[in-house]
Amino acid sequence: MTLPSPVVLVALAAWGTIAGLDLVSVLQGLFSRPLIAGAGAGLLLNDPEAGLRVGVLLELFALDVLPVGAARYPDFGPGVVAAVVLVSGTPWSQSLGIAALFALGWAALGGWSLQWLRRANGRALARNAAGLAAGDAATFARLQREGLLGDLVRSLLLTLAGLALAMVLRTHIELTTRFVPVSAVAIGAGVAAAAGGAIRSAGRGSRLRWLVAGVAVGLLAATLR
Amino acid sequence: MSSGRLRAFVRLLTVQGAWNYERMTGVGLGHAAEPLLEDLKSADPARHAEAAVRSAEYFNSHPYLAGLALGALVRAEYDFVPGPQIARLRAALCSPLGALGDQLYWIGLVPALMAAGIVAVVAGLGLWSLAAILVTYNFVRLWTGAWALNAGLKAGARVGTAIGNSWLPGAASRAGRAAGLLVGLALPLAADWLLDGESSRNVVLAVVTMLAGLGLAWQLGPRITAVRFGLLAIGIAATLAWRIG
Repeated sequence: MTLPSPVVLVALAAWGTIAGLDLVSVLQGLFSRPLIAGAGAGLLLNDPEAGLRVGVLLELFALDVLPVGAARYPDFGPGVVAAVVLVSGTPWSQSLGIAALFALGWAALGGWSLQWLRRANGRALARNAAGLAAGDAATFARLQREGLLGDLVRSLLLTLAGLALAMVLRTHIELTTRFVPVSAVAIGAGVAAAAGGAIRSAGRGSRLRWLVAGVAVGLLAATLR
Repeated sequence: MSSGRLRAFVRLLTVQGAWNYERMTGVGLGHAAEPLLEDLKSADPARHAEAAVRSAEYFNSHPYLAGLALGALVRAEYDFVPGPQIARLRAALCSPLGALGDQLYWIGLVPALMAAGIVAVVAGLGLWSLAAILVTYNFVRLWTGAWALNAGLKAGARVGTAIGNSWLPGAASRAGRAAGLLVGLALPLAADWLLDGESSRNVVLAVVTMLAGLGLAWQLGPRITAVRFGLLAIGIAATLAWRIG
C-alpha cells in the first residue's frame, strides 16, 4: 500500500491538531466533530469517500457524547484523521470496522490526555497563586498562553502518534474480506450509540415525538433509496 | 464594537484555554475581562484592583454564553455594585448559562447540524454540504459570542431578567426538537448507506449488535459509554476475525 507524501502528512498533522484544539480550547466550531475531521482528511488524501465513510460512522458514536465542563469525554478529531490514513484506498466494507476500532481507541486516549492537561493547568495555577491573588493581568495572560500551548502540543503529539501508528498498521495489516463482519459490528455499535444518546436527550417530552417522527421518515426514505 | 470589547470578544473565543479543576474557566474569563476593565484603572484604581482579582475567580458556563456573564460582571463593577453581590451574581450565573448553552448547542444545534450533514452525505451532496454547515455554524457561534457580550454589558446586574426575556430559552427548545427530528432521520439513512451492498448475514450481525448496545445502555446506564461499547464489540469482532478468518 502506498503511504501519503510528506506534504500531505504535514497537512494532515495540521488538520488533526486543529481538530484537537477545537474540542475545548479554541473556538469550538465543529472542526473536532468526526464528520468534519474525517471529510477534511479524506479530501487531503484525495479519497473523499473514505473520509466520509469513516466520518459518518464515528459521528454516530460522537452523537452520544456531551462535551460538558468537568466530564471526561473522548477527543475524536486526531484519531479520525489517523483512521482515514489507515484505511484510505482500501475497500471500505473490509476496513470500516478496523478504522472505527482505531479511532475509538485513539479518542479514548485523547480524552485521557485532556484530563492530564487540565491537571497540569491546575498545577500552573498553584505556581502562580501570588499573581492570581493580586489580580495581575500578566499572570492571567501567561496562564492562558501556557494552557493554549499545552493543548496545541497535546493535539499535535496525539495526531503525530496516531499518523505514525496508522502508517505502521497500514503496511502490516492486510484488510481482507475476513474483516467485513467487523465493519458490520462497528456500524451496529455506532447506530446503537447514536440511538441511545438520542433517546436519552429526548426524555419524555415533545423531543421524543420529533425523534420518533424522524425515525419513521428516515426508515421510509431508506426503503425508497 | 470598541477596541476593548473587540479584544474581550476575541479572548472569549479561547475562554477555556487554561481550563482546570480549581477555577474551571475563571482564568479565561479574567483574561477576557482585562481590556474591559481598563477604564476603571484610571477612574478608581482601588476598585479596579478588587475587580481584577474577582474577574479570575471560579467560573464555569457554556463557553459561547460566557460573554453574558463577563459583560454583566464588568458592568456591575462600573456601576459600583458591592463586591459580595458581584461574587453572588457570578456564582448564580454558572448553572443557568451552562444549562441553556448545553440545551441550545451541545444537545440541540450541534447534533441537529451533524445529523443534517449525515443526511446530506447519504443524499450524495458530499463535501460542499459539510462546508456550508461549517460556515453556518461558525457564523451562529461568533454571532452568539458577540451578542452575549453586548447583552451582558447592557444588562449588568439585571442580566438574569435579560436572559429570561431573550431569544435563548425559546431557541433552546426549538433546537432540541430539530435535533430529535434530524437525528431520527439520519439514523436509518446512515445505517442503510453504511450497510449498502452487505450480505443479509452482516445486516443481521449489525442489527444484533445494535440491539445488544441498546440493551446494555438500558441496563447499565452511563457506565457503558458509546466508546466503551464500541471498543468492546468491535474489539471482540476483530479478534475473532483475526483468529478464525
